[in-house]
Amino acid sequence: MAAAKNNRAIIAVNRFGLGARGNELSDAQLNPEQWLLQQLVSPVFDKSIGDTELAFDTIAKIKEFRDRRRDGELIGQVVSTEIVKPYRRSLLIDSLAISVKTDRPFAIRLLDFFSNHFSVSAPTQSMKILSPILERDAIAPNLFGQFEDLIIAVEQHPAMLVYLNNTKSVGPNSPIGKRTRGLNENLAREILELHTLGVDGGYTLKDIRQLAMAISGWSITNDRDAKPAGFRFRIKGHEPGERNILGKSYPAGGVTQGQAVLRDLARHKKTAQFVSYKLAQHLIADEPPKELVAAMVSTWVKTEGNIKAVVTSLVKHPQSWDSQSKKLKTPREFVVSACRAVSHSKTVDQTLLNVALRGLNLMGQKPFGAGSPAGYSNLNRAWSGSDALMKRIDWVNLLSNKTRQTPQAVAGRIYDSTLSPLTVKLLAGAESRAQGLALLMLSPEFQRR
Amino acid sequence: MAYENSKKYDRRDLLKAAAGSFIAWHSPAALSLTDLQGSKNSLKPQPKLVWIILRGAMDSLHAVLPLSDPDLMVHRKNLVSPVKNSAFDLGGGFALHPAFKELSYLYKQQQLIPVVATESGAKSRSHFRAQDMLESGLPEADADSGWLNRAVEVYRGDSLAVAHTLPIGLRGKQLAKTWYPDVLRPAQDDLYERLQALYDNDELLSRQLDEGLKNRRLLTGIQKSKNQFSFSSLAGSCATMLAEEDGPDCAMLEIAGWDTHQYQLGRLHGKFKELDEGIAALREKLAGQWDKTVVVVSTEFGRTVVENGTKGTDHGTASAMFIAGGAVAGGRVRGRWPGLAASQLYEGRDLMPTSDTRQWIRAILSQHWNLNSAQLDYVFPSIKTMDAQLIRRPSKSDTAV
Repeated sequence: MAAAKNNRAIIAVNRFGLGARGNELSDAQLNPEQWLLQQLVSPVFDKSIGDTELAFDTIAKIKEFRDRRRDGELIGQVVSTEIVKPYRRSLLIDSLAISVKTDRPFAIRLLDFFSNHFSVSAPTQSMKILSPILERDAIAPNLFGQFEDLIIAVEQHPAMLVYLNNTKSVGPNSPIGKRTRGLNENLAREILELHTLGVDGGYTLKDIRQLAMAISGWSITNDRDAKPAGFRFRIKGHEPGERNILGKSYPAGGVTQGQAVLRDLARHKKTAQFVSYKLAQHLIADEPPKELVAAMVSTWVKTEGNIKAVVTSLVKHPQSWDSQSKKLKTPREFVVSACRAVSHSKTVDQTLLNVALRGLNLMGQKPFGAGSPAGYSNLNRAWSGSDALMKRIDWVNLLSNKTRQTPQAVAGRIYDSTLSPLTVKLLAGAESRAQGLALLMLSPEFQRR
Repeated sequence: MAYENSKKYDRRDLLKAAAGSFIAWHSPAALSLTDLQGSKNSLKPQPKLVWIILRGAMDSLHAVLPLSDPDLMVHRKNLVSPVKNSAFDLGGGFALHPAFKELSYLYKQQQLIPVVATESGAKSRSHFRAQDMLESGLPEADADSGWLNRAVEVYRGDSLAVAHTLPIGLRGKQLAKTWYPDVLRPAQDDLYERLQALYDNDELLSRQLDEGLKNRRLLTGIQKSKNQFSFSSLAGSCATMLAEEDGPDCAMLEIAGWDTHQYQLGRLHGKFKELDEGIAALREKLAGQWDKTVVVVSTEFGRTVVENGTKGTDHGTASAMFIAGGAVAGGRVRGRWPGLAASQLYEGRDLMPTSDTRQWIRAILSQHWNLNSAQLDYVFPSIKTMDAQLIRRPSKSDTAV
């Protein structure tokens, strides 16, 4: 019985968490399920490192910088190195630091899941500035509330509006639309296909058009607008009149029209199925057990999409605790768990975070770099190519040379006595601490969760 | 200096702190600050000290072959036969492995002392424990105090570790710099072999590793990028830094991969070559400073006298060390040979240690850096002074500088 309890703690810490850090394993051992459920609290970010306001200020700085350069100043300086890179880097490092330090790793895993679900990435300077803000300002505060509040916050956030070209989408019969420009369906399409119902969600091209019209005029502030900077509903760009989506009509109502559609989409059974399946697939197995997904969907329907309740039903389901680890860690999970494994004090070494960020770039999971609104893949095969493993080996080799802890001490802390005899044997035979740590982090136990 | 130590202390405060703690710990009445700190000649060239630690336990019987010992061929015929005819004769019944081209040259120039049957002071065949002992140099290993750090502290010099993080050998009160090329280094071949064993029960990871290795071998470009992490390249960069004006007085380098439990013939040939080329790079890049340089090469323990069942050797006790450099009075093998007859072996299986690595280093610190006996006791409290002259006595032209 002790062994079984032990294994549940290992599962809690690794499958749902980000790998043990410090005494986390013993904390989880008391009651693994409860240990997970008490973590369902929104992560809090330091706004001074970056928020929507600061992002807009930074974008304004770029404009100013370009103006000055046009006037012959700042010769030889580049916007990206002077302004964008330092700003973005401090945000990416901050997010890694939080992941490495957190004592609510499950909350961070869920944040990462939804951050990838609402993937924003693009090579333009303004997107580089905006993309790291979405999870901080829109996703984190709504992480454990109603899914409808989450998607409204996300679809109205400048990062999403700019990324999927809604800022200039205007209704054809709106005052602006009659003079110039027109509708852009991009965001509406992805809301239906990627954020809510899923590609097989039963919507038609007409529904996409109608949704695009419902959210036409959803834009962002410009220089002339009053503060705070961020979302701005431009009534003059909004398509007037009633909308009809998935057989339901939505009366004219300005910004509330689109919000009403999003609320219904969030509660929709197809959305419940699509998001529950994807979440179970992310956490449990590439092909998650049907009963597990059904339990989540039923909770979703009953609670009208309460994320905390849905996550709770997943944690409480016996099939989430299968003793076989079916998932490979994504590069981010791997890198963060490796950093957590060697961090046992309260502080996180800056060098370690730089190494972590480098690892993500090396292993092909750059933060906000998926390059597609679909985000990074949820599936094992996306992260299990032979080159992927070689990159992990290279990176571990770098990391393990940056710490001098004994592999046995780290293994004891993060796995107690659950490592396989083969792994234990190879750790014991390592010729140096660095090699032993490398073997630990490359072991099947550490690669899977 | 990609990973230079970020803390900066006032040098004098440090010296005060160092001296204070030493005096409290040692003999309070007898020593003053000047006794402890000695006086470092500020003129060039400076006596440089380079320590190369071989992690994983070098098989000394394969490096310095005791060819005249009748039992050698009894214990390890398969390991000795392929190399014995091409080995470099050192006289006195010993020969250097043929891969040691630079070391052979240095020996001829009387700039190399191979020392046989040395121990690190660790009564343990655990790599970690023994490496800790070797680096710490104290009767009980202290992971926060390395012998080279204590030595350079009392010498009032500067030090450099060619590593990502500070190894124990250079941890302590003197703030050592660390340096390492700021690009990802491919792992040691040995790590890949161990991973193959680790993935024995994991089909997916095992297949990935095989494919990954195959692909890497196809990409010759990878080999090129490996060059800057080769030991000779690291040693060359280290030497360049040492030779700079106001460069460090000492440096520590490490080579892993000596744990040759299997197929050691080919692997050790590669390791010896790597070490040898590194020492050649040190000599080349230290240029004019080489004449005042001592390079110490040592390992945590030796390996079993008898070859094992996988064409390798297992963890043993005594090993060998090398003392090389333009400042060295070399040209002969040192250390008492304990013999390889069954009755002469340590615990019936290992080469018996006849001297302690620290004794030799202590003599070097005394003769090369002119540390006095109080300072030497601070560096190696439990070790007695030995008489052997290891460093060339300064000629007239040296003293005139």
